[in-house]
Amino acid sequence: MTDWNAMSDAEFRKEVRGFLEAEYPEELRHLPHRPKFAEIEHWHRKLHTKGWVAPAWPAEYGGMGLNAAKLLIFYEEQQRWGVNRGRDMGVQMVGPLIIKFGTQKQKNYWLPRILSCEDIWCQGYSEPGAGSDLANLRTRAEIDGDDFVINGQKIWTTMAHDATHIFMLVRTDPDAPKKQQGISFVLASMDQPGVEVRTITTLSGETEFCEVFFDNARTPRENLVGELNKGWTMAKALLSFERIFIGSPSLAQNALGQLESFARGRGAFDDPVFRDRFAQAALDVEDHAALYSRFADQLKRGETLGADVSMLKIWVTECFQRITELMIEAAGPDGGTVGPLQVGNVSVDVLASFYKARPTTIYGGSNEIQRNILSKAVLGLPD
Amino acid sequence: MQSSEQEEDLRLLRESARTLFDRAGGSGRSRKLRDAGGEFDPDMVRELGEAGVFGVAVPEEQGGLGMGLAAGGVIAEEVGRVIAPEPVVATIGLGLGLLRRLCPEHPKLEQLIGGEASLAVAWQERGPGGASADATCRYADGKLTGGKAWVVGAGGTQDFLVVAEADGGPVLVLAEASADGLVTTRRAQADGSSLGELSFSGTPAAELACGAAVQGALSEAVADATALAAAELVGLSQRAFEITLDYIKTREQFNKPIGSFQVIQHRAVDLNVMCEVAQAAVREVLMRMDGETDASIRARLASRAKARAVTAARKVTRDAIQLHGAVGYTDEFDIGLYLNRALVLSAWLGDDAYHRRIWFDAREEEGAAQ
Ligand SMILES: Cc1cc2nc3c(=O)[nH]c(=O)nc-3n(C[C@H](O)[C@H](O)[C@H](O)COP(=O)(O)OP(=O)(O)OC[C@H]3O[C@@H](n4cnc5c(N)ncnc54)[C@H](O)[C@@H]3O)c2cc1C
Repeated sequence: MTDWNAMSDAEFRKEVRGFLEAEYPEELRHLPHRPKFAEIEHWHRKLHTKGWVAPAWPAEYGGMGLNAAKLLIFYEEQQRWGVNRGRDMGVQMVGPLIIKFGTQKQKNYWLPRILSCEDIWCQGYSEPGAGSDLANLRTRAEIDGDDFVINGQKIWTTMAHDATHIFMLVRTDPDAPKKQQGISFVLASMDQPGVEVRTITTLSGETEFCEVFFDNARTPRENLVGELNKGWTMAKALLSFERIFIGSPSLAQNALGQLESFARGRGAFDDPVFRDRFAQAALDVEDHAALYSRFADQLKRGETLGADVSMLKIWVTECFQRITELMIEAAGPDGGTVGPLQVGNVSVDVLASFYKARPTTIYGGSNEIQRNILSKAVLGLPD
Repeated sequence: MQSSEQEEDLRLLRESARTLFDRAGGSGRSRKLRDAGGEFDPDMVRELGEAGVFGVAVPEEQGGLGMGLAAGGVIAEEVGRVIAPEPVVATIGLGLGLLRRLCPEHPKLEQLIGGEASLAVAWQERGPGGASADATCRYADGKLTGGKAWVVGAGGTQDFLVVAEADGGPVLVLAEASADGLVTTRRAQADGSSLGELSFSGTPAAELACGAAVQGALSEAVADATALAAAELVGLSQRAFEITLDYIKTREQFNKPIGSFQVIQHRAVDLNVMCEVAQAAVREVLMRMDGETDASIRARLASRAKARAVTAARKVTRDAIQLHGAVGYTDEFDIGLYLNRALVLSAWLGDDAYHRRIWFDAREEEGAAQ
């Protein structure tokens, strides 16, 4: 077993870069949509053989055991090469939760299946009445013998139509005094009569997320992770790394690169107004990266991140959106045209980038919610 | 990432600079000086010199602390926090920047570091649409003719360092403020300071350096000063934000602190994010300038810093007034002093739009060269 953390940062980066450049399928670079598993299966097999599916997991569970510094390098290299995240909700979300709060039996059973993608996971948190106010969720799980019986509805469940399992927050005690109490974290199979998935077409015309209906669906009681009625605190405990990840510069950096080659091809830089707006956007990205490295350095020193890390997400997502607006502007009369636009030898799907940028300020805690968090937890403003 | 040792040095420097300025009276001192009509306090200059403030970025072998521009930035941020009127950035960036590059043996260098001399740098000239690129101020037979504009610290200075044109190319000369044929006009600035317009008619001056080296050193010194001015704006913005944050926590309307209203909270967050991005960016720039020898890259970095700092300071100081309500529009409240200082610092050495243009053009040139 290689001890990656013992390598120098430069050596490790070289190692990761070398592997990606040699092995990552060219046709999957910078995929504009979220792929179904079948589309990326050949790449996943390579990663799995290499043992690189779960960079953040401890080695004893089949992960790479990377520390924060190495992990950031790993993701930076992936993003640089336009490597698709794959179907990573198992690895990124449910896996760490099982590792932290699961029983030995749960670990032994679920973790290898996550790594091999035998099970493909989706995240069932949001409901029609529980978006930003997630604790308002109503989907019930009632104990019936050795099973939970689940009734209710989840929504916005990304790639549920291509998932075998769902990890979900459900209400197990409707009489708890506070709505954050009485919520539990359970795992369930999608492949059963009580579960119905309906895809939702997004603004960009893709089917990326779904509604999931539960009508007396069942899952064994042993699929409860952690304690009964303690799901809320558990789900919150996992945020630290995710929050810097969601604020990383990569999406905006990639979009800026696309904007630049597109705008150059279209001659947009002849216009001084456009030049200034481009310079603003480019500096927004560069200066965000400076703030990002401040937080990354904190992680590298082994410190935990405070709530102030939310500012990364606010800045970079709004910047990402402005960049895609500039792409549309540079496209001029082609700004409403579906599909890749060819300029010289580059082709840029302006609308795809534009659409991709839209939900980034909505999911992962909307930017308004992030501002609420910062104003309370960081600025100490009163209720 | 900077080394932890360097980080610790900078932290200590920040602490002692903050203590020094606070003990001197913080922003209250600046208000008093302004009200008294004085530009800055010569005693304070001496005290800063004794504390080693001016020499932070001067190499040790030239009598400084050798801590680099990053340390200059620390000082500049602290100057900005208390809107100190002393020309600290102009001294570190321009005065010392020129002397240490062109004539490190000159006694003025040591005096300037020690706060024993004052020296204002005159290098820009007024053209029809702003700063003019062609210098017309001439130096021949030991005498200056022509004019210079936007001279920081012209009011209280003993000497001027002047960049002029001679037959053999650019020269750096030293002229006494009281020299014959030198007329100094002060142009009042929003913050109570002034910028000098100099007019020379056969003014005697001593040559310190000549040739292409002068142009090179001037560009480098201007880049340093630009980045340090950005740091000063960062400190200013940060403090203006803190004042505003305190205010919205205590001012009550509708029986609640106004800081409990979500609109106000979100605006406060946006200002906070602006400040943090600006601080991270400017500190990174200074650090990188210290490790960079290519003059054009350093200039581009400095433009990046100033563009960001001006954008942030504009937003923060304008919104700060709005969040204060009517008291924000009074002279009595300190927040206005921050706005006024931001106006002056933003205009000095180029605002954000100007630096974005410079930055973009440099980026294009580099792209074309590759
Ligand atoms: C592309 C995409 C993929 C997603 N994938 C998943 C998934 O896989 N699994 C899953 O569980 N969920 C998923 N979500 C759902 C996502 O988590 C929610 O959209 C998000 O929590 C916001 O909830 P909402 O959409 O109901 O908006 P609402 O909460 O109704 O918000 C509407 C607007 O009101 C604002 N608002 C709400 N409350 C406040 C407040 N207190 N103060 C100020 N403003 C407020 C919001 O910021 C927003 O602008 C996904 C969403 C998107 C867009």
